[in-house]
Amino acid sequence: MTAVAEPRATPRSSAFVRIRGWLRNPWGKPRFLVLITWAYILWSIVPVLIAVQFSFNATRSRTVWDSFSTRWYWGDPVDSVWHDPTLRHALVQSFKLAGADVLIAVPLGVLLALGLARWHGRGSGVSNFIMLFPLVTPEIVMGVSLLLVFTQLFTFIHTGTFAQILGHVTFSISFVVVIVRARLFSIGRQYEEAAADLGASPFVALTRVLLPLLTPAIVASAAVVFAISADDFVISQWLSKGGPTDTVPIQIYAATRAAPLPSVNAIATIMMVSTLLIVTAGFLTWRLFTRGERRTGTAAEDFGGAFNIS
Amino acid sequence: MARGEIELSKLTKQFAEVTAVDGINLQIPGGEFFSLLGPSGCGKTTTLRMIAGFEQPTSGQILLDGTDVAYTPPHRRNVNTVFQNYALFPHLNVYDNIAFGLRRAKRPKGEIRERVGKALELVQLAGYEKRKASQLSGGQQQRVALARALILNPAVLLLDEPLGALDAKLRKALQIELKSLQQEVGITFLYVTHDQEEALTMSDRLAVMNGGHIEQVGAPQDVYEDPETLFVADFLGVSNLMEARVVSAGTEACRVAVDGYELETRGTNQDVIGAAKIVIRPERVELEEHGAPPGPNRVPGMVERLVYVGSAVQVIVRAATGETLQALVQNKGTGLGFEQGTPVQLHLPPDALRVLPSGIGDEPSLKGEEGQDAAEEAEEETAAAT
Repeated sequence: MTAVAEPRATPRSSAFVRIRGWLRNPWGKPRFLVLITWAYILWSIVPVLIAVQFSFNATRSRTVWDSFSTRWYWGDPVDSVWHDPTLRHALVQSFKLAGADVLIAVPLGVLLALGLARWHGRGSGVSNFIMLFPLVTPEIVMGVSLLLVFTQLFTFIHTGTFAQILGHVTFSISFVVVIVRARLFSIGRQYEEAAADLGASPFVALTRVLLPLLTPAIVASAAVVFAISADDFVISQWLSKGGPTDTVPIQIYAATRAAPLPSVNAIATIMMVSTLLIVTAGFLTWRLFTRGERRTGTAAEDFGGAFNIS
Repeated sequence: MARGEIELSKLTKQFAEVTAVDGINLQIPGGEFFSLLGPSGCGKTTTLRMIAGFEQPTSGQILLDGTDVAYTPPHRRNVNTVFQNYALFPHLNVYDNIAFGLRRAKRPKGEIRERVGKALELVQLAGYEKRKASQLSGGQQQRVALARALILNPAVLLLDEPLGALDAKLRKALQIELKSLQQEVGITFLYVTHDQEEALTMSDRLAVMNGGHIEQVGAPQDVYEDPETLFVADFLGVSNLMEARVVSAGTEACRVAVDGYELETRGTNQDVIGAAKIVIRPERVELEEHGAPPGPNRVPGMVERLVYVGSAVQVIVRAATGETLQALVQNKGTGLGFEQGTPVQLHLPPDALRVLPSGIGDEPSLKGEEGQDAAEEAEEETAAAT
């Protein structure tokens, strides 16, 4: 391929030859792509690693490193995540919202995706398009309008956990629909037809064939919903009634405006690690279930592909 | 064997703007190996899907053993399908794939085990129960798909180009296997293919389709030897087509004029007057040495090109009539005696020459091409919708 770049029997040093080869044919191998990719990864991951590092700081400083300790997780009797009721409640609230969101949005989203993928009549195109609206609507707009709905229209719903769950479900259903629908299209109709051909009623075809084949997408969307719900600030904030219904992002925001302690880093680290674990579990399940299928890309590409569609 | 009798009556399927299947009538007696043959987009797959129940006809009837099943959902029809890409359930192993239909029919466990075992033996896959579909070769997957469909004792087995994805050698072997399997189980096989050789090899009878119509129905030999339309003549194997003018037509013999040469052909029942086409298969064209005694049905020519195809040699000859004809000479290992530029004499035996009305033959095939494209799009549409 790069025969020009490697002249035989050259008296010069090999480093010189290599550099000359690079200059003659810089696109021979995607060196610059690799370089830029690694630069980007470093750029995006270093701040996170620094934040994680200072969550283990022994002093009250978030900028000057002293020594390793778990003081801000549970050691400190007043300000640690474990002992500070505000932080502890925020953590519980965040997980509560994320869990409820997964339990409600995923089943609804799967049913919606099935309906939208199979419905070809008048209005199906518009509905498919409208499903994407929550993905492009600025969150602040959605937060404000949801608050208006709950305070003016459906006044029996008060701000707080219930309203927050409704808000999270509203915008996360779209993610489920997009991921599951993509998988539905790649599965195609053939397995359903084969099931029907072998005597399965539409319901049996759904439960015995389609749902097992959709499992990876369902797991992936559950992981995504959990992650975006745990990460959400705007809607949680608008629909919060303060106190115990403030979530981790709200508390971190509030704390950094006052006098931030490394406990903020600690709670952020906890959120990040648990979200990461759940997404990893989702990915592993995806790979487990799609193992039997012949595919050109790797499982990671496929899993990522499901996200990219949004 | 009356079981598995299919009758299609004025069956029509229209997609948004295209008529994929245009009022076809067809009768298939029980136990027959019947093929629908045609180019992609001719409506053969749509016809099969309507019989399976995946598409609802726009109008017409599908009689299965005398009952109209046109609007019966697929899971209530006593037909089973072998899909083009097999559609084996990827989340189930071979055993569970084959047992799927029996479980839906709520058969007792012991019976399921016994019948799956027998089905696996029938397709020579005993011992593969625990494999996933992706761990099987293409040929093995095809056999699992067959076993999965046959285990339900359907009246009719529908096969949608089941050998399309396999390599040539395996395809040949499976053609013979499929045929003997069909004779063993004795049910109707409705086989859809675009491969004329496949259809000719396996079928008891076949229908050639084009643009949503059936062009000709008959036994392989009849359709091949006695094409009724230009499309059939052209689609089934290679044909030499020549413009001709009919001098006299009759059921015993016809006489035609091709650029000054008068030839005798087989008789025809069709109404041929004036401009027509004559057809001859390459293997029926005989080559004689230049200077051989001239006689009836002989035209001088010049060898234009020789193409060695292994078992035979294709000789492309430019006839004195201006037409280029192809002759197929069996390779007997003795050499041909001709080379490029050698003058030869073509002998076109009267019983190998057929007159086809060019008007009737031409028009549907031209119209067919348009319809074909449209129907192809429609088929793609349905494929995309899946």
